[in-house]
Amino acid sequence: MDLTALGAAIAVFTGIGAGIGIGVATAKATDAVARQPEANGKIMTLLITGCALAEATAIYGFIVAIMILFT
Amino acid sequence: MDIKELLREVLLKDKTFIHLPFGDGKYDIYESVVVMWIIMAIILVVLLILTRDFKVHNISKRQAAIESFVVWIRKIIGGSLGEKGERYTDYIVSVLLFLGAANMIGLLGFIPPTMDINVTAALALMSITLVEVAAIREKGPVGWLKGFAKPMAIVLPMNIMELAIRPLSLCMRLFGNIIGATVIMELIKMVLPVVLPVPFCLYFDIFDGLIQAYVFVFLTSLYINEAVE
Amino acid sequence: MLEFSLVNIICVIVNLLILYLIFKKFLFERVDKVLMQRKEEVDEATRAADIATQKALDTKKEYEEKIALADEEKEQILADIKKQGYDEYERIVNDAKKKGEQIITEAKHNAEVENERAKEIYAAQLTDMVIDAASKIAATKHSTQDDRELYDKFINEA
Repeated sequence: MDLTALGAAIAVFTGIGAGIGIGVATAKATDAVARQPEANGKIMTLLITGCALAEATAIYGFIVAIMILFT
Repeated sequence: MDIKELLREVLLKDKTFIHLPFGDGKYDIYESVVVMWIIMAIILVVLLILTRDFKVHNISKRQAAIESFVVWIRKIIGGSLGEKGERYTDYIVSVLLFLGAANMIGLLGFIPPTMDINVTAALALMSITLVEVAAIREKGPVGWLKGFAKPMAIVLPMNIMELAIRPLSLCMRLFGNIIGATVIMELIKMVLPVVLPVPFCLYFDIFDGLIQAYVFVFLTSLYINEAVE
Repeated sequence: MLEFSLVNIICVIVNLLILYLIFKKFLFERVDKVLMQRKEEVDEATRAADIATQKALDTKKEYEEKIALADEEKEQILADIKKQGYDEYERIVNDAKKKGEQIITEAKHNAEVENERAKEIYAAQLTDMVIDAASKIAATKHSTQDDRELYDKFINEA
């Protein structure tokens, strides 16, 4: 049995971390907007930046999976 | 078509564009570099057209738009660079505009250069060089070396490791995002090549590309700001 | 796909530097030039406006000084005129007084002279009368009684 696919699948589990991180960030951003609707634009920018940063972990896992599969 | 076949085709494609007769493929010029030349040519032409006959008075709408755009983007980047790092604004803005163009060149049918790890590695290398140069220029070589042991001597190995981690993280983030987007796009195109890819194309090629470009320069300017503090 | 190629990395770095120069030369420098020129013009205009304001303020001050001076002058003139008026008034009153006194003295004098003259006339009449009486007496040699009567009559007449 080829176990490389399993390794790639495990690597892709980093997506959980990214998902939780983005979820928390979005929840806090929603709170912040509810509290201060006038700061909407600033919060949105920060949220997008933070999400892009949190996404990085998922991307790392994805790269590792690709590396496992194709190299 | 098999998914595995498709991925193999997308990811393991031969990147060589210009094959040089010597060095056994070691000095081959990759397609990403050629696409980058094309992007540079496009940018040059667009700039020459846009910044033609600038005047001080009675400005055209085009000039007003460009002026306010430059002022606006400089304000954003300069804000995250801080007061001391403001002199690097122009380079950061150049990188931002280039990355924006490079991530969106997929719309014109080219392969985005940022999908090649060499391009992102070069960008990250430039960024980390700029960060360290900024730190040396601000604090002097001795102050820069001492800065590694701050705030405590125990963080010294961490700080030295950061020197490698930061560019690696920058490089891999950008590369992974773009290649991930491309893979997903290929998969979607395999499922239904007609209408379905349009919204995804809008998201991955325009929105995600611009956001990743912004994140890249944002992190770079953050590092510079931290280095010159 | 994850192999690094030094040549390509160097190529990309060179490309980036060229791109930076392109942006600098054709975008930032041009925009900066225009913005700088505009700023200079605005500065110049501001400076000119400042100078004009200063000039206006100076002129205003000058005029205020002049007005203050004019006020003083006016008061001076008024005081002068008042003084002159008083002097004139005094002089006129004095003149009038003097004239009045003179008139009074003249009048007195005239009255005296008149009186004198009247007296003289009276005396002359008296003399005439005395002469007359004397001649009458001389003409009519009468008695003592007659004389006495005549004297009484004459005294009574006088």
